[in-house]
Amino acid sequence: MSDNKKWYSLDLGLNNKKESSGSCGCGKSEGSCSSTPKEQVEEELSPEEFYEAAINASIGEERHRDGFEQVFDVKMDRRSAFKKLTASLLIGAGAVTTSCSVTTGSDTKEKAQIDWEEQFKGNYKLMTDEEKQGTINRLMRSYELRTDKKINMTAENAAEDVLFGYAFNISKCQGYMNCVNACVEENNQDRNSEMQYIRIHEMKDGEGFKFDKADDNYYHEVPAEGHFYMGTQCFHCDNPPCVEVCPVQATWKEEDGLVVIDYDWCVGCRYCMAACPYDGRRFNWSKPEVPEPEVNKNQHYLGNRMRKKGVMEKCTFCVQRTRKGKNPACVEACPTGARIFGNLLDPNSTIRWVLENKKVFRLKEDLGTEPKFWYFMD
Amino acid sequence: MKNRTLIYSVVVLLGVSLFSCKGEEEYHSISDKIEGESKPYHGALTSEQLLADTELIEITEGEHTFLIPERKGQIKSFACIECHSKPVSQMIGKDAPKAHWDIKVNHANSDAMNCATCHNGEDMNQLNTLTGKNIDFNLSYKLCSQCHSSQFEDWKGGAHGKKVAGWAPPRASNTCVNCHNPHSPSFEKRWPVQFNTKTAIERNEGLGH
Repeated sequence: MSDNKKWYSLDLGLNNKKESSGSCGCGKSEGSCSSTPKEQVEEELSPEEFYEAAINASIGEERHRDGFEQVFDVKMDRRSAFKKLTASLLIGAGAVTTSCSVTTGSDTKEKAQIDWEEQFKGNYKLMTDEEKQGTINRLMRSYELRTDKKINMTAENAAEDVLFGYAFNISKCQGYMNCVNACVEENNQDRNSEMQYIRIHEMKDGEGFKFDKADDNYYHEVPAEGHFYMGTQCFHCDNPPCVEVCPVQATWKEEDGLVVIDYDWCVGCRYCMAACPYDGRRFNWSKPEVPEPEVNKNQHYLGNRMRKKGVMEKCTFCVQRTRKGKNPACVEACPTGARIFGNLLDPNSTIRWVLENKKVFRLKEDLGTEPKFWYFMD
Repeated sequence: MKNRTLIYSVVVLLGVSLFSCKGEEEYHSISDKIEGESKPYHGALTSEQLLADTELIEITEGEHTFLIPERKGQIKSFACIECHSKPVSQMIGKDAPKAHWDIKVNHANSDAMNCATCHNGEDMNQLNTLTGKNIDFNLSYKLCSQCHSSQFEDWKGGAHGKKVAGWAPPRASNTCVNCHNPHSPSFEKRWPVQFNTKTAIERNEGLGH
């Protein structure tokens, strides 16, 4: 923060002498970096001045111009501010106490150790392969300690030369909803709230796609006379708006095209849910619960592992299956063959044949989201 | 000073024009990306293990070569000639045990099709084409494709039907009779397998706000 600039300026080596002083420890050239400077200031400032300085450091001049003020103008005393800031540390301290205690069992200590390490792990996207292995080992052990049952969790990375894509035949779908059931069972979705990633819309023949008039929760014999069926789920856009809006980078597009979520990094703000034009994302309002015998124990870190309350989730094209060469559960369960899945980069794949030989279209193509989910007809 | 600004802006412009289309976002659309990075997949992922327990035969139809499940081993009473030791015409009226009494043909109308359209009455171990050529039970799709030519085209390409295992090569696709009962090929009407009671409550009563 050598010259207190709030903007980025291109350094072509003309100001070399200033370089040595650098910015702050975090390496950013802009204002808010970490709490360290704030804590230093805190010693000599009154609460009001501290509050003022904190706001200046975080949003600066902007607060006079936009709605941030409403959020930041909440009076918060130093005590509650620090209470919030150190919430994580308190959890950690609790873990330390447990692990150092002589009265608690070794299982409890191990659990506390795992909780501690899980609490302070980084974003999955930035982890090395060893760190990924480390976290899934901890999660597997933690599940075993809590339930006495073993799960098998993996962290396969995207395979090379693979880009997943999906095609849906609207003349074949009969609305049986076997896919919906298979998806819920495969992906350990919350049974209480009956969360479902897939929606099957029953639409009237001859009226086109009218989602407002379609019924996605029908219960009568299907296919109903004069209707057709089409399914929606996460389309794994190549230009995903949900990823753009995530303030903490808890969701991103993998090399093989899957848009995934790090459930442990998600803060539950639901911006992504609002940004998705296809209603592809779901939120856990309550703690997801699955009866132990029904839990699918073949899990992937980015896929069907057990989620927690207050995080987003969605279809992952069954990453735990597809990165092993299998088809997603919905494709496997479909009795009519309306669902086709494959590698878009392989010219010999069936999905490529569909794209090249059938008349395909995507939903809301004009938005430029580039969904990797095509619809076609016989 | 003005000169320097000018030079800077020229440099920036050049840089932008040179590098803007490079790097990760090299393609303007997903179809460009598919076209640009297209190459036959010979990677580590395969369906071979998933297919290990399935008896498969390789077929080549036009430019497509893929695997389909073997059929004869799946038919309970194959070989047919164990009972049909003589041509059907000679067995009519015999006091032989009745084995297929429950089969009703619900496939086209009776003017267009009867048993003999597909089955060879002289040699029950074989199927026969419309022109009387023998077709092996394993290759029954050749029989279906005589009439259902557009479905056959889609099936060969992979737009009709289902894969046996995963997306990864080698490709193994179900053949017609794995999904369709040849005697009654259309899918039945039935109830959906699930109903979302929570959604129904939300829609009917609102969220309680």
